[in-house]
Amino acid sequence: MLSFLRNVSAAALIMATAGFAAAPAQAETWDIAKAAAPYKGTQLNVIFLDRPGYRAIEKLLPDFEKATGIKVNYEVVPYENTRQKEVLNFTGQGDYSIALVDLVWIGEFAENGWIAPIDKFASDASITDPNLNLKGFFPLLLDAFGTWGGKVYGLPFDNYSGLLFYNKCMLKSAGFDKPPGTWNELKDVYGPKLTDKAKNQYAYALQSLRGETQSADSFMRSLWPHGGSLLDKTFHSNLMSKESQFGLNFRQELMKYMPPGIVSWDHAEAVNGLAQGQVAMITEWSAFYPTLTDPKTSKIGDCLGVAPEPAGEAGRLPALGGFSLAIASQAPEKEQKAAWIFIQWATSDAIAKDYVDAGGVSGRTAIYEDPSIKAKYSFVEPMVASWQKGVPEFRPRFPAWPAISEIIAEFGSKMMLGETTVEQGSKDIGTRMEAILKKEGYYDGKKPLLQ
Amino acid sequence: MARQTSRLAYGRWTPFWFLAPAVFALALIGVYPTLFALVTSFRQYNLTRVREGFPFVGFDNYVNALTDPTFWQTLGRTGLFFLCTMPIEAGLGLLAALMLHQPGLTMLRALARVSLVIPLATTYAVVGLLGRLIFNRDFGVVNAVLGWFGFAPLDWLGNPTGAFVAIATMDIWQWTPFCALIFLSGLSMVPVEIEEAARLETGSRWALLTHVQLPYLWPGLTAMLILRSADVLKLFDSVFTMTRGGPGAATELISIYIQRVGFRVFDMGVASAQALLLLVLTIALARLYIRVFYREVD
Repeated sequence: MLSFLRNVSAAALIMATAGFAAAPAQAETWDIAKAAAPYKGTQLNVIFLDRPGYRAIEKLLPDFEKATGIKVNYEVVPYENTRQKEVLNFTGQGDYSIALVDLVWIGEFAENGWIAPIDKFASDASITDPNLNLKGFFPLLLDAFGTWGGKVYGLPFDNYSGLLFYNKCMLKSAGFDKPPGTWNELKDVYGPKLTDKAKNQYAYALQSLRGETQSADSFMRSLWPHGGSLLDKTFHSNLMSKESQFGLNFRQELMKYMPPGIVSWDHAEAVNGLAQGQVAMITEWSAFYPTLTDPKTSKIGDCLGVAPEPAGEAGRLPALGGFSLAIASQAPEKEQKAAWIFIQWATSDAIAKDYVDAGGVSGRTAIYEDPSIKAKYSFVEPMVASWQKGVPEFRPRFPAWPAISEIIAEFGSKMMLGETTVEQGSKDIGTRMEAILKKEGYYDGKKPLLQ
Repeated sequence: MARQTSRLAYGRWTPFWFLAPAVFALALIGVYPTLFALVTSFRQYNLTRVREGFPFVGFDNYVNALTDPTFWQTLGRTGLFFLCTMPIEAGLGLLAALMLHQPGLTMLRALARVSLVIPLATTYAVVGLLGRLIFNRDFGVVNAVLGWFGFAPLDWLGNPTGAFVAIATMDIWQWTPFCALIFLSGLSMVPVEIEEAARLETGSRWALLTHVQLPYLWPGLTAMLILRSADVLKLFDSVFTMTRGGPGAATELISIYIQRVGFRVFDMGVASAQALLLLVLTIALARLYIRVFYREVD
């Protein structure tokens, strides 16, 4: 591994990204130890989550630390607390040197100046991997996770696409030899045949716990494939459009084939429901593949099937999520440079195979062309297919999203519970959301309509 | 004069120095944050809009809080939660205290008293996680027990009433022992000779409770009401880990709402105003309890 790090590649690659002028036209050998020598002993502080992608990089970290002498101190924090901890740290001029940026935080972090654009560092040849090759990332991921206002701030690190995980054996017993290709098919054909309430078996589970799970995984997933969206081009609510209403009503109908109490299901319950054979299909993040294939956490075994999310009337627009790593503006220059070396390493082509083998999901394209990787991990092909086309603004990435997400989470759950109608709930969300966006200055031309 | 000099032999300021660390700690962790919150409540103070500065906005944040329907809804829900849990906790606590106050079985009583501390010592977040497991529809203990009696599994955390009952039950589990211990200390204040005389006078336990023991329980009950009111108004961890305030808004208590405003939207100005309104409410309730329930034992 060390020698691999020291002599990553001698192949000629073109540093194709415009704006990074210092990147050499001819790829050179990247001696990471030499590049990191001035920063030996530097301590970096970063938040990690308790998810497979982070556990994977934790396994590889000793190699990095040994090669560079840079120490990475990571603190494992639940997702729900991450933004709070980071915002308080950044506003209080704390000690984080690297920001873990969920795609919906990129606008907030960039506009507040908490993260630094990478161009300042990428133009310094002494600390930049000649094989950085930003074009080697899936464009959708680099655009959605790391870019704001045309500037790159972070490199895609923990990358997810929504996938359809299904129990092949249950589908086969019900007479299906392939998963549903469309949402309508899932509801009208697969739903009735795979649901047996007396046996506590259900066709599908859509995690819908109040919080980001409700707003992102459940609510937004019900809009895009059916042609709906949260906002129109003028940033007013688009929830009352025919397509959005159709999508939200579709979710209500689909609940017939979901386990009772689905509004209290988070990712863990949905994955567990499939793993234990209670539900036949779930639409979950690709990152949960290792959990479903690990015999310690899953009984599904060889019955596990993975496919792209079903298509709707607007085509196949799966959920998009993930995190980038960005350099914290508050960090001293020496730490920032050390952080840049770490971020490049953690997201590099060089360690992509080791990262995937350790349970991570790389954002690099090249790794997924490796036949051995394709053969070993059945999630790869559907995930790569999902990343070919998608909407970066699946959830708006502007700073107002967290406040809007809270409103959606409340009224989205109420719709599912029947405490409010889809129509009334949509109106309530729209009114409150527009009040927030007005306060943000989107309606008087003060702010560009970026999402 | 000579006597006075000898009393002050340790120095006039010595007591103040002994008190100083406690006063300093209190000022640092209690008074300063409260004053900071007070100042913040009069400012536009959004941590995610630092570039706009923190201008004074007068009473805008208070007006915002008081005209916010969600604030009142969550406050009403918190009041309902208190009214549902407190009488049960006090009732069960009194029952447990009376049982532990019975003569005999010394070892068992000592063991029971120690075991009462366990729920109290459990971290709120752990109580929430335990609740999530206990009330799980498919493998929770509650549904398993109901199953023994032929009842179909209930979806506790997936429906609004069930979730409210679940968080109330966990609160009762955690805080009934506290009430029991307070009542037990009240019962131990009853002079032994009076209690024994009363036992000779009457065989009625009810008469003994109402005429002899109850006067000694009022101060404890008052303290219990004050502490529990303040605690319910800031109850966050256990409910958040159990339901995150859902489903819908069924378990969104006022503290969860304020946390959302303060640490999701980061509008510290409005959140501080809301928190200070709760502080005023807590003080008002404490005064009310003292006026209505507190009785000095003659």
